[in-house]
Amino acid sequence: MSFHYGQGYPGGGNPPAGASYGGGRGPYGQPHSAPYGGAAGLPGGHYGDGGAPGHGGQYGPGPGGAPSGPYGGYGGQQTAGPYGHHAPAGNIPPGVNPEAYQWFHTVDTDRSGFINLKELKQALVNSNWSAFNDETCLMMINMFDKTRSGRIDLFGFSALWEFMQRWRLLFQQFDRDRSGSINGMELHQALAQMGYNLSPQFSETLVQRLALRGGRPGIQLDRFIQVCTQLQSMTQVFRERDTTMTGNIRLNYEDFLSGAVTRLM
Amino acid sequence: MAYHSPYRAPAHMNAPPDQGFLWNIFQRVDKDRSGVISDSELQQALSNGTWTPFNPVTVRSIISMFDRENKGGVNFNEFAGVWKYITDWQNIFRTYDRDNSGFIDKNELKQALTGFGETQSYRLSDQFYSTLIEKFDRQRKGQVAFDDFIQCCIVLQRLTDVFRRYDTDQDGWIQVSYEQYLSMVFNVV
Repeated sequence: MSFHYGQGYPGGGNPPAGASYGGGRGPYGQPHSAPYGGAAGLPGGHYGDGGAPGHGGQYGPGPGGAPSGPYGGYGGQQTAGPYGHHAPAGNIPPGVNPEAYQWFHTVDTDRSGFINLKELKQALVNSNWSAFNDETCLMMINMFDKTRSGRIDLFGFSALWEFMQRWRLLFQQFDRDRSGSINGMELHQALAQMGYNLSPQFSETLVQRLALRGGRPGIQLDRFIQVCTQLQSMTQVFRERDTTMTGNIRLNYEDFLSGAVTRLM
Repeated sequence: MAYHSPYRAPAHMNAPPDQGFLWNIFQRVDKDRSGVISDSELQQALSNGTWTPFNPVTVRSIISMFDRENKGGVNFNEFAGVWKYITDWQNIFRTYDRDNSGFIDKNELKQALTGFGETQSYRLSDQFYSTLIEKFDRQRKGQVAFDDFIQCCIVLQRLTDVFRRYDTDQDGWIQVSYEQYLSMVFNVV
């Protein structure tokens, strides 16, 4: 089974009670950092990776533009109300998205009550029907696996599901030529709109490096999610070190390694 | 190179296997007889010494290292490099996995990786090795298996190479702008 492309945002925004997901210390709701205008906030999702103090960014989006809580800002679509509009069907635990709840049982093919890497990979497809790559699946499992067991439970899956839906919408929005993939220029526009101050060459090189030879010149949803999530997290690493806000940092070998090893992967 | 550089599998450890031997292996691994070994074919052929599938991310890293035309696999000539790369790492791993458990712990990892930081400025703290174990220990045993060990070394090697490029005076410190920093880390994804 697959999450079909263009399934739409579930229920127009019904952020469940976030208690079980920790995380959302970052500012919920609308991007308040003016420079990015109406850009949709990035779907955040790091458990327990609360919002850092927000300085308006000269490089990347402030936490307002890129909320780090799992349910953090999705444009202006946030509604209050922990359970949203869906009447809970069956025994859906509080805080679990009803559609995610239904998908969970389809995806959990071995009926273990958890989704592992293999099950997740089988469930996710790009718009060209290729399977999600391992790195992105692994990255998402790590993001939503609270227990560090290498698999995700229903609550984690629900958060992951909403995270995916938001990224799908952004992907469609930024795939301006409707080619089904994001090319270098589209990635640059996407990043600029998300508030990142990076050169067009950066996006161009990144896409070239990630695109599959022989395929279309662009990246699919899986890589797009991977790149944007990693950019978000590495920008945070940079910001933490750029205490004087000069846009330049000085760092030593071990600090460089551990920043990349712990936050990139 | 006087020091034993564990990030790069040393060149002298194995005599090159003869072509007939390699061809034999290649044909067995290339299940669909396409002339190119794909990620999944290589993954099925590899064992990490435990009863778990070989880390697919490691497989991808290794193949992309030798796949010159970015075709998503390796041909016979490239496979010779893959074979040698893996067996060299295997020898190193065995040296440090003293109890033959199939895993190496933090101290063993440290021993395997020291020698690389041959200068004072490239030395790594004890805490950093704990971080490595935590990050690369896919099986959550507090130790790393062979496949995860290779992946750990590949990542460190790439990061170290890019750091050295910026650290022109080799003092272990760099100064970089935001975009330079991102370019550095994203080259090593």
